[in-house]
Amino acid sequence: MSDTTSPNLDRRSLLKLGLGASLMLGTAGLTATLSGCSSSGPAGSMAVLRESDLPLLAALFPAAVGPHPAFSENSNAIQLAIAQLDRSLHYSSPFVQSEVLNLLGMLSMPLTRGPLTGIWGDLATASPDQLEAFLLRWRDSRFELLRKGHKSLLQLLHMAWYATPQSWAAVGYPGPPII
Amino acid sequence: MPVPDLFLQGIERGWQVIDASALAQETTLEADVVIIGTGAGGGTSAEILANAGLRVLLVEEGSLKTSSDFKNDEAKAYAELYQEGAARATADAGIGILQGRTVGGTTTVNWTSSFRTPDQTLAHWAEAHDVKGLDSASMAPWFARMEERLGIAPWAVPPNANNDVIRLGCEKLGYHWKVIPRNVRGCWNLGYCGTGCPTNAKQSMLVTTLPAALEKGAVLVHSARAERLVFEGDRVSEVECRAMDATLSQPSGQRLRLRGHHIVLSGGGINNPALLLRSKAPDPHQRVGKRTFLHPVNLTLAQYDRDIHGYYGAPQSIYSDHFQWDQGTTGPVGYKLEVPPMQPSMTSTLMGGFGLQHLHHMASLPQSNILLALLRDGFHEQSQGGSVALRDNGDPLLDYPVTDYLWDGVRRAFLSMGEIQFAAGARAVMPSHAHGRLSTSWADYQEQVAGLSYRLHDVRLASAHVMGGCAMGEDPTRAVVNSQGRHHQLENLSIIDGSLFPTSIGANPQLSVYGLAARLASQLASDLG
Repeated sequence: MSDTTSPNLDRRSLLKLGLGASLMLGTAGLTATLSGCSSSGPAGSMAVLRESDLPLLAALFPAAVGPHPAFSENSNAIQLAIAQLDRSLHYSSPFVQSEVLNLLGMLSMPLTRGPLTGIWGDLATASPDQLEAFLLRWRDSRFELLRKGHKSLLQLLHMAWYATPQSWAAVGYPGPPII
Repeated sequence: MPVPDLFLQGIERGWQVIDASALAQETTLEADVVIIGTGAGGGTSAEILANAGLRVLLVEEGSLKTSSDFKNDEAKAYAELYQEGAARATADAGIGILQGRTVGGTTTVNWTSSFRTPDQTLAHWAEAHDVKGLDSASMAPWFARMEERLGIAPWAVPPNANNDVIRLGCEKLGYHWKVIPRNVRGCWNLGYCGTGCPTNAKQSMLVTTLPAALEKGAVLVHSARAERLVFEGDRVSEVECRAMDATLSQPSGQRLRLRGHHIVLSGGGINNPALLLRSKAPDPHQRVGKRTFLHPVNLTLAQYDRDIHGYYGAPQSIYSDHFQWDQGTTGPVGYKLEVPPMQPSMTSTLMGGFGLQHLHHMASLPQSNILLALLRDGFHEQSQGGSVALRDNGDPLLDYPVTDYLWDGVRRAFLSMGEIQFAAGARAVMPSHAHGRLSTSWADYQEQVAGLSYRLHDVRLASAHVMGGCAMGEDPTRAVVNSQGRHHQLENLSIIDGSLFPTSIGANPQLSVYGLAARLASQLASDLG
């Protein structure tokens, strides 16, 4: 773990936190009631994702995907990927939707974000190094919930990104046949 | 070249197809037999029962999508055609689950591999699960009948390079390999079976048994979930359904009541048990939803100095059973080796890593191949499978613990797959694991696999085969239905689909479902006739 700005997340601090663990992909939809910073309804152009989720996702896509040329070639690239993620979530179940919103809510609430990610400022403005440290920290955590968060977050982001045609040329995929 | 849309043409000719989400008012429908689910079990049953002169009514939770909707578009297909928009997973999210949710069920989106139930599996069911009359000899004509019906034959076209890795590697190592039989007619070898066949070549229920049943006057209601069975004494008197919303996320539309003399559950593993649990169906021995199996899958990625283009061409055409039965039916877990199709959205979730590392792996997509191992769960006491329960809103939830018995299989399968990939000329192999890295030699790879963590989320696990949960067998204390698929407690309820299996199959299960359904539905037709 390369993070030096926060106390290590040991068992004691996680237990003390308690709240974070229960919010993390929690079952009770606590985020909506506890997070003053996330609005409860979907953002204007979205079916599921909230206004507060959008800057977060804009920061997370490049961290998950890496320096893909489409990010610089197309100023709209991240918006297209976010819209794709939202469409996919719209067709999923109420449970999946609430899990994803809880995960994103937890990443935007200072109370949970700092101790769990090691990023004490706004995640949307975190540096690439900070985001990498956060993803490594969750990958290597001995807490199953954080490892689950690592996997779920990356799978959502990767799947949405590589569903958008803008991502294909750079990885050599010629695209699907047209019938 | 335009492809005729057989299903839409049938509707124009007068097939009775009802979109529940467009209903203006509460509706009641009646028939001789109500079939819940339109996949391999429901479709096969519908054709046989309709041909026997019975009035058949089918209900499907998914929507009706047909060949003209299928655009080889991953994101659109995962959203529209799969359970929970392809985001279904086990309770702890340890295993992702791909399962169909559309007219035709999983047969509309599967990869066409069609194997008869292995002799060992049928023998084990008779011996360990008190299943009667389903031995290999008496099942053979039913498999033959469905092979004929669905054009099932070994793939005669050369395999794509992704599949050819298995042939090359196994040849070199002296391991078993064979060509996979597929249920296709006039296949264009495109490779997009998983997003719905755009040419109607795949002989799914959508283009075979369902059209045949509709021709005979069957009625199909889609976009409606069967929420509850209503009981009168030991009979099911009615099925309460509700239309799904536009994105198939929840049943929030009009209510429907379906009445029939006989009810057949064909919603598959997970959804059948959930319906029985929501209905509080009699279950004196707490068997409903128990022993649900997944063929948990782990995978390895390999890179080559040649083009593979694994996103094009029949997705599955070569397999190896070298490690399937080598340690006996009930020993350490056996596994079947195959490949997945490699379209970029799904493949990106298996590459491991993130940021620059992930991008590097993706950039080699055209020269990459993935092998997968289907772990044959349910044959050993340390493999009891999962258990279905209900969420607060009535949606199903599958708790599936991954035991040390299965982790041992995961580790051995990582080795088998890597060995075959290196033998087929891979320059580097990586286990699909949060800590996976590209090993450039077999020795280094073996060391890597020995040192990996075998725990949830680190190892990428998936399933495309949900089986069991409504086990059949003659002993009511251990099974939900008897060997004819008739419910042990409810007089007019049958279950006909893969949820009957007392264990997993040890092969892609669709032909097992077809053969069993053909037999049980034929028996049912004569019982009701």
